[in-house]
Amino acid sequence: MITREEIIKQTNDALKKEFEFKDEQLVPTAQLKDDLCLDSLDAVDMVVVLEQKFGVTLRQGYDLRTIVTLNDLYDFIEKLAKAHHK
Amino acid sequence: MERLRTCFNTFFIGAAALLWLAVSAAVAAPFLWLTAADQRARAIRKFVYVQSRGIVFFMRLAGRGLRVEKAARPSGSCILAANHASALDLYTIGAFGFDNILYITKGWVFKLPFFRYVMNGAGYIDAEKTSPQEMLNACENAVKNGCDIMLFPQGSRKNPRARFKSGAFYLAEQLDLPVIPVAIAGTQKMLPAGSFAIRPARIVLKTFPAVYPKDYPGELGHLRMAQDIKKQIMDFVDKENEK
Repeated sequence: MITREEIIKQTNDALKKEFEFKDEQLVPTAQLKDDLCLDSLDAVDMVVVLEQKFGVTLRQGYDLRTIVTLNDLYDFIEKLAKAHHK
Repeated sequence: MERLRTCFNTFFIGAAALLWLAVSAAVAAPFLWLTAADQRARAIRKFVYVQSRGIVFFMRLAGRGLRVEKAARPSGSCILAANHASALDLYTIGAFGFDNILYITKGWVFKLPFFRYVMNGAGYIDAEKTSPQEMLNACENAVKNGCDIMLFPQGSRKNPRARFKSGAFYLAEQLDLPVIPVAIAGTQKMLPAGSFAIRPARIVLKTFPAVYPKDYPGELGHLRMAQDIKKQIMDFVDKENEK
């Protein structure tokens, strides 16, 4: 099963590639909206990018508005990956 | 010499440009006010075009040459996506002859004294107040009325290398409109963000051939289009800035 470290690395790699972020921006406490300036459409794009990366569905049955920081995002993907593995 | 030219540009040409904006607005205001309500927004957009042509003239006076390279535009409406590094960028679009443009900009422009009347009157869209669906509807209506849509996908002048957000390209995808990449080089040197001094600079404005959403299929097509268009524009701007 994928580890949290791998989730963090793969998420950050995807965000760097698709949204041109730099390493120093991608700290766990970074807020998606205020610090990374992701708007609502960016959030949708990010979800699609991460779905393709991890092969999980992030859009259905979950409230994505609860994801405020990068750490929330890592937690969310980890939870989904665990559920998917079971 | 450069400093002297900057002083002249700032205090004489800059003042003349502001005077042009104020006097032309004062002269046009009664006529625009008398225009039939359903035609007024279009008339104001044409007026903004005339003002832009004037500002481009002043930029020619203040600069070290202003070159315009235009690719053939497609028939029908299109989306114009430009890099953004200076307050002058908004006016440079006048050099390309697009005379019925719907701008989508940040909210603060709608709060500026005097400008807010033009922004609201012309029906321009406040990107921060409008939901994606409302924006889509407003753009659809604008296209029906023959407007082209103009956005600065970087969203701010503060970082000239900022990524191109994908909103403009999502609109293109949803409305099936071609995107014309617009490169603006030199305005960053002439009037950078946060400065009031108008430095002499060589300005180069270029439109590239239209890019079509159908060439970017898939769920993330608009993201790829944003990345490709940014590369095309910034490669040109970097090359021109090095000269």
